[in-house]
Amino acid sequence: MHRLIQFLARFTAVIGGLVLVVLILMTTLSIIGRTANKVLHNEFFQTQLNGLSQALLDLGIGEINGNYELLEAGIAFAIFSFLPICQFYGAHASVDIFTSVLSRRANRWIAAFWELILTAVIILIVWRLFEGMQRYIGNGETTLFLQFPVWWAYAASFAAGIISCIVAAYCAVVRVIEAATDANILPSEQGAH
Amino acid sequence: MTNLELGFWSFPVLLLMIFLRAPIGLAMLLCGFGGWYFAMGGNPTPLLAKLKSETYTTFSSYSLSIIPMFLLMGQFATLSGMSTALFKAAESFLGHRRGGVAMAAVGACAGFGAICGSSLATAATMSKVALPELRRYGYSGGFSTATLAAGGTLGILIPPSVILVIYAILTEQNIAKLFLAAFIPGILAALGYIITISIYVRLNPNSAGTRPAVPMGERFKALANTWPVLVIFVVVVGGIYLGWFTPTEGSAIGAAGTGLAALLSGSLNWSLLRESLLGTAKTTGMIFFIVLGAGFYNGFLALSGVPQFMSDWVVGQGYSPWLVLTIILVFYLIFGCLMDSLSMILLTVPIFFPVISAMDFGMSTEHVAIWFGILVLIVVEVGLITPPVGMNLFIINSMDRETPMTETYKAVMYFVGSDIVRVIILVMFPAITLFLLPG
Amino acid sequence: QDVTLRMHQFLPPQANVPKQVLDVWADKVQADSGDRIKVERYPSMQLGGKPPELMDQAIDGVADIVWTVVGYTPGRYPSTEVFELPFMVNDARAASSAYWQMFEKHMKDGEFKDVHILGTWVHGPGLLHTNKEVRTPADMQGLKIRGGSRLVNQLLETTGATPVGMPVPAIPEGLSKGVIDGTTIPWEVTPALKVSELVKNHTEFTGSALYTLTFVLAMNKDKYESLPDDLKKVIDDNSGHEFSVFAGGTQADADGPAREIAVGLNNNIVTLSDAETQVWRDAAQPIYASWIADMDSKGIDGQALIDEARGLMDAYGK
Ligand code: NA
Ligand code: NA
Repeated sequence: MHRLIQFLARFTAVIGGLVLVVLILMTTLSIIGRTANKVLHNEFFQTQLNGLSQALLDLGIGEINGNYELLEAGIAFAIFSFLPICQFYGAHASVDIFTSVLSRRANRWIAAFWELILTAVIILIVWRLFEGMQRYIGNGETTLFLQFPVWWAYAASFAAGIISCIVAAYCAVVRVIEAATDANILPSEQGAH
Repeated sequence: MTNLELGFWSFPVLLLMIFLRAPIGLAMLLCGFGGWYFAMGGNPTPLLAKLKSETYTTFSSYSLSIIPMFLLMGQFATLSGMSTALFKAAESFLGHRRGGVAMAAVGACAGFGAICGSSLATAATMSKVALPELRRYGYSGGFSTATLAAGGTLGILIPPSVILVIYAILTEQNIAKLFLAAFIPGILAALGYIITISIYVRLNPNSAGTRPAVPMGERFKALANTWPVLVIFVVVVGGIYLGWFTPTEGSAIGAAGTGLAALLSGSLNWSLLRESLLGTAKTTGMIFFIVLGAGFYNGFLALSGVPQFMSDWVVGQGYSPWLVLTIILVFYLIFGCLMDSLSMILLTVPIFFPVISAMDFGMSTEHVAIWFGILVLIVVEVGLITPPVGMNLFIINSMDRETPMTETYKAVMYFVGSDIVRVIILVMFPAITLFLLPG
Repeated sequence: QDVTLRMHQFLPPQANVPKQVLDVWADKVQADSGDRIKVERYPSMQLGGKPPELMDQAIDGVADIVWTVVGYTPGRYPSTEVFELPFMVNDARAASSAYWQMFEKHMKDGEFKDVHILGTWVHGPGLLHTNKEVRTPADMQGLKIRGGSRLVNQLLETTGATPVGMPVPAIPEGLSKGVIDGTTIPWEVTPALKVSELVKNHTEFTGSALYTLTFVLAMNKDKYESLPDDLKKVIDDNSGHEFSVFAGGTQADADGPAREIAVGLNNNIVTLSDAETQVWRDAAQPIYASWIADMDSKGIDGQALIDEARGLMDAYGK
């Protein structure tokens, strides 16, 4: 079970990370295309190399249409995909200076308590995300440029959100077990930036 | 209870949760939920409705997507050997001086800060390269870790900077101008740390060893190896400033460029790429969860009218703007001992910014906003190295298990002193910050 | 007071519409109710969310009243797009009047059934502001232009220009750094964005405008229903046809002083004659055709909407 959840969290994060890489490449290509388009439209190319530049322009060299919208949809999916691994590695930032005076056991119970609350909140968020998706399925709203239905982007994020719920629920149970048995099972990285 | 009272009550509740070790993003989210619930007279419908889209729209932000991109850029920069090249170059020029290896570490941190948007990443990356060298040349443990912890803050002080992006979005300021304004204060920070090191080694002569100088030819050869850093910095920060592309596009180009450099250096295999992605994922997820919580909480605060009330109240007292500014900066320094910088910015800027904007510093509102942003950036970054809770201190100490935390605490106070001197100078002479800005 | 209404919108409080339309409306409602209604104003999306969410915030009661651009939610209110078609609208008052009448007839119980609409209007004539002179659609070839709406973007593509999507506040930087070669925007918005300082050429059209955007002032339905009858009446008396024409007219009236700035800077303001504008109208024909086809697929008679809108706009003031 532990290995499976760990795999799930890491796998989801890597998928999200690869989407991030794709968005980075898309944005870079779009800028290169935009710059090339500008160059091809300048005086020299338009007068001296008209045939060539026109041929290249006709190939569609230019800014990638709607890259802004794809970036927004993609980055939302990526962030939702990053939540499970935060959960699994206990990477959410917190302040432990005041609780450090308490016993280790007390701290474990505190951690378990917040993990339970966090899980409830994540489930709430993902449930509401589902309702949001339902609304967009019903109302026909599309994006401005590419005019794809907004709910597609919600659906992708919702899929990642489901994994967050699974991982969060597992982590909550395990933190309670850790507190009850005073054992280390999950990592606690307490990240910052 | 009026909404205003509700807003004021939310502060102690929030702090209590945070000090009871609640994840900070969660604490803000809960206060935001509670605030919206009670402000709506116990009707959960508006809150549940807000949740339908607000998580998605927070995560799908074009401007915030700069954050994972800069984080990944820092990961790739490490893989491509840029951190090593930077340290070697700085070390060959400075290493033979008293405290020179530590100065070189600061210089390399500054260089790395120019292509990395995060303090912790800079601190961690440069520690991997510089800690072994510092220890090899007989630098004492606490001195070495403190130097790197302080140097790490240059990761955010020198643009690009994740914290400045957040500040820009919160206050609707221009990211490019904030980056530009951060430049001279960032350089001053590096110089201040180098001076601090030379003072430290004079006061503690046994804390550092020496080594012979490197021939000039080799120095320039080492310097030449840092060209990819220079190219990426010039293209990304220069391009953002000159408007060739938006900050988000700049971060994408930077990540693609460092990724390409890592690929060409031959060190980018699948498992390293995977680890880079996972590292980016953890930090990004953590940051966005805090941003989400702050969004809900700040929406509730606006609803309660607290920021407006505070700003009216402070202006009504007729305090001098400089006194108000000083109190705010001291507040950040004190709270910085306990809290992390991102949460502090997200929590306090929506309250303090209207106060500062309403005051007359004899500058345009935009200049005040930018100047205040840089000052806040510096004081919250000091929080990363002030004991007891200083994230940079923790990170570096975890990489050097032989050095007791107290040693690090002692040595880092010199660098904190340098930071405070710098803040005072920048407060007294706003022109230093605003010098590079047009008009 | 008895009732507090939270009014949420996306512009800063000192901008034209919040100051000259929304505040005027809110102050009037407060006064007419004998201060029994208080309108709390939340500018700049202070209550959270992004502008496209405003409409849902009104539907769900996150805010009680929102002002929003209908085009922020493309596809949801297709009938309103009849006023966003290129070269459809000539006069903001006439169009706002027609918009309200058609809203009452076709949209109130249809597309807008989830929300209580207080006003419907359009801004003054949208035009082109470019770094080189534009007289014919052919001059647009290769220019990167920030378009104002879905349909304007289609028009830009038809002329060989590249529509660029960027939020309004990003326009000044986009223009000064050459990321875009020009923008479509009504005169009224140009001072805040320093457009006239950043580009030297403006292309106005005669007889009909390049485009307009449609706005609504919308109220949460339950909140409206929950008001006692006398307060409902206060809201009703300040809403509807007259308010819509006032709002559209106020926005259009702000065009004049803004245009004077460009005149004062000796900018090149090209006012195309009716015949020259006709070339543009012809170029826009494919967009009409595709819009009508698109509406047909949604079961709406697009041609009938166009004819009705034209008829009502022609009849306005006669
Ligand atoms: Na940096
Ligand atoms: Na600290």
